[in-house]
Amino acid sequence: MKGVIFNVLEELVIEQCGMLIWNEILEEQALEGAYTAGESYPDEELFGLVASISEKTEIPIETLISTFGERLFKGLSQRYPSFIEAESTLKGFLKSVHDVIHIEVRKLYENPNLPDFEYTDKADDTLLMQYRSPRKLCILAEGLIRGAATHYKTPVKIEHPTCMHKGADHCDLVIRFL
Amino acid sequence: MMEISNPEDPYKKAYEREKKARLKAEEILENKTRELFIKNQNLKETNNLLQQHQAIMLQNEKLATLGTLTAGMAHEINNPLAFVKSNFESLSKYHNAYAKLISFIQQESDNLPKAIQENLTELIEEEDIEFIQEDLPELMEDTAEGLTRVRNIVANLRRFSRTQSTERSLANLNEGIESTLKLLHSELKSGVNIELNLQSIPDISCNPNELNQVFLNLIINAKQATTDQAQPSIEVTSQVLESQIVITIRDNGCGMSTETQEKIFVPFFTTKAVGEGTGMGLAIAYGIIQDHHGEILVNSAEGQGTTFTVKLPIN
Repeated sequence: MKGVIFNVLEELVIEQCGMLIWNEILEEQALEGAYTAGESYPDEELFGLVASISEKTEIPIETLISTFGERLFKGLSQRYPSFIEAESTLKGFLKSVHDVIHIEVRKLYENPNLPDFEYTDKADDTLLMQYRSPRKLCILAEGLIRGAATHYKTPVKIEHPTCMHKGADHCDLVIRFL
Repeated sequence: MMEISNPEDPYKKAYEREKKARLKAEEILENKTRELFIKNQNLKETNNLLQQHQAIMLQNEKLATLGTLTAGMAHEINNPLAFVKSNFESLSKYHNAYAKLISFIQQESDNLPKAIQENLTELIEEEDIEFIQEDLPELMEDTAEGLTRVRNIVANLRRFSRTQSTERSLANLNEGIESTLKLLHSELKSGVNIELNLQSIPDISCNPNELNQVFLNLIINAKQATTDQAQPSIEVTSQVLESQIVITIRDNGCGMSTETQEKIFVPFFTTKAVGEGTGMGLAIAYGIIQDHHGEILVNSAEGQGTTFTVKLPIN
């Protein structure tokens, strides 16, 4: 997982709970916590941090990941504003994730282990995104989509009828633009 | 009394300042990485192009050397061939004269004195004259055919080396392609799907007969390459690209290995069975295109097909 994800998680915890708590969490996990955006760190470190935050704040892990997803969108859009500027609608932006943003990421980093998205654009008000990733972080993806929806001021309803956590080989994220 | 400030504040400010600086540093790093990536990509492309050009240059140089060599060879063979042919024509005439003489002697032998008649019969038998009479016309015929073949080979070599300049006229290559396809109609009608995509192109000063021969050779080769395909298909296109006429002949046939591709324009190189191909078709095509100041290129992948591209300058 890229350091930038840790950076945004750190921002979230500091904003919501203060720096003391973040320091405590790092100590609990025996981590140095000096994350550099472009460097890769073990997924386990992130999961450990999330578990620790959940324990401290008594927020269930799923809710936490989803909230983090929303905050992650904000963090990424501040760091890489050009991708947001390039798309004027939420749908256009979501469709650019796989074919534009991920391609740009691959230019910068070898083996960034990005998730795979496939799109089915059946109706104007609906977009089906098929999510595939060995990390099975579909909840994070949902959060990111919600973060994007907030940014584009486009209310959405996300359904998740097929899920890798229920044994499927992919997740269906059905996004309805309200 | 002096106000005591929160001791955390200066550190928080410093933290925020540092964080801002770090985000900026990361942004700079990413921008540089992206620039580097793009530059590297461009370099790779340029390097590929250079390698391709180098390969083409080497190939052209090799073929130019071969051209000089074949021109010399053709010239050297042509000289003795000229007197062999001329002598052979005289020989044919002499042979006719001798044949007449022998028939006459055989006819008139009854009128000769008995002793001479016997000597003559003996001589005829000893020297196998009757067999010679029978065999000679065949020998002459085979020799004449052999000489024609040598003459054709020499002519082909000269066409590869382009030692003769040819007459030019204004012609439209699309018409040439279409008439070549008509000519090949019976050859191609057996199940090859021909796709024609000819865009409007200007007339150019060329030798249309020679260029038609190039198209003919390329299309026949394409046809032969697709023999074993379930759905054989040949696509012929023409278009104008950067003051050149670009003609492509693409087949979905057996394709060629890199080694074969390197040799296809070399005279006498053939992958066909002995007696089936002269190995001169593409060598001549190469010579003709060179003579027109154009380029002929091949792009092929084994099992996928071959594309020949002919580029000819418009002016």
